[in-house]
Amino acid sequence: MRDVGYVATGYSLTLAGLAGYRYYLARRARKARRFIDALSQRAREGRRRP
Amino acid sequence: MRFLYRALTVVGSYRAQRVMGIATLAGLVVTTAVGLFVVPPDAVQGDVARLLYVHVPAAWVMFLAFGVTFLASAAYLKTGRMQWDRVAAASAEIGVLFCVLTLVLGSLWGRPVWGTWWTWDPRLTTTAVLLLVYIGYLSLRKVADSPARRARWSAVIGVIGYIDVPIVHYSVVWWRSLHQGATVLRLGSPTIAASMLATLMFAFVTFSVAYGYLMAVRLRVGRLEDRSTGTVSAVSAPRARRIGTAEVPASVGSDSHA
Repeated sequence: MRDVGYVATGYSLTLAGLAGYRYYLARRARKARRFIDALSQRAREGRRRP
Repeated sequence: MRFLYRALTVVGSYRAQRVMGIATLAGLVVTTAVGLFVVPPDAVQGDVARLLYVHVPAAWVMFLAFGVTFLASAAYLKTGRMQWDRVAAASAEIGVLFCVLTLVLGSLWGRPVWGTWWTWDPRLTTTAVLLLVYIGYLSLRKVADSPARRARWSAVIGVIGYIDVPIVHYSVVWWRSLHQGATVLRLGSPTIAASMLATLMFAFVTFSVAYGYLMAVRLRVGRLEDRSTGTVSAVSAPRARRIGTAEVPASVGSDSHA
């Protein structure tokens, strides 16, 4: 098998690219959710104050 | 336009997202296994032609993604509804990912076949321009100061930038090019062996499902981010800056409002 290195690199980069982007989206979702939770908590605390 | 929105609603449901995620994973495993070990090597190029099963589907999804950006941008300019802006931005981001993959995979293929990683060939150059246009589109979204202005500016680029897509596609016909011409989408029957064509078609379906899956996830993230920034401007921007979980411009809110 000739040129196997190029083929293996290409398939690896494709799979890594897709997985990496999915991971990046998961991180962004987690960050936004944490932010919304923090604000909701603050709003709840604010309501409890006399 | 209504069809596109209905399709995105179906694709965006949690169950559809899960099914597409599993289908994408299974499809990628099968495409990799068949592309690497089952399909025979090309008669002229040998094993390096196995890159066909990832390079061409990646290019197809790039066109699909930029096409959706074009439609959603046009819909935004017509209706002014922010959900179209969200769809356009999501699709452009995924399109950029697949554009980078297309260029990198093409480069890996070009090195053993053409003897060079890169050449200023019409197909390669117009694809690089396409990548720059959509990187510009995403960059512009970071600098615009109000959501409405950001949506309007990026919708204009989303429509104008799409002009490069047919130029990329027909570049191998209009100009003398190192890149080979159409093999499957051409007048007459495809000039490719049946087993290779079947694998390529399967890869097309897999990559399209992957696009649908990433689109669903990206739209969900976009909705969450919009909700978080909307909450920030309404409740407390300084709090958001202190906890450092969102990018809030200094102009939004102040301590006196908290």
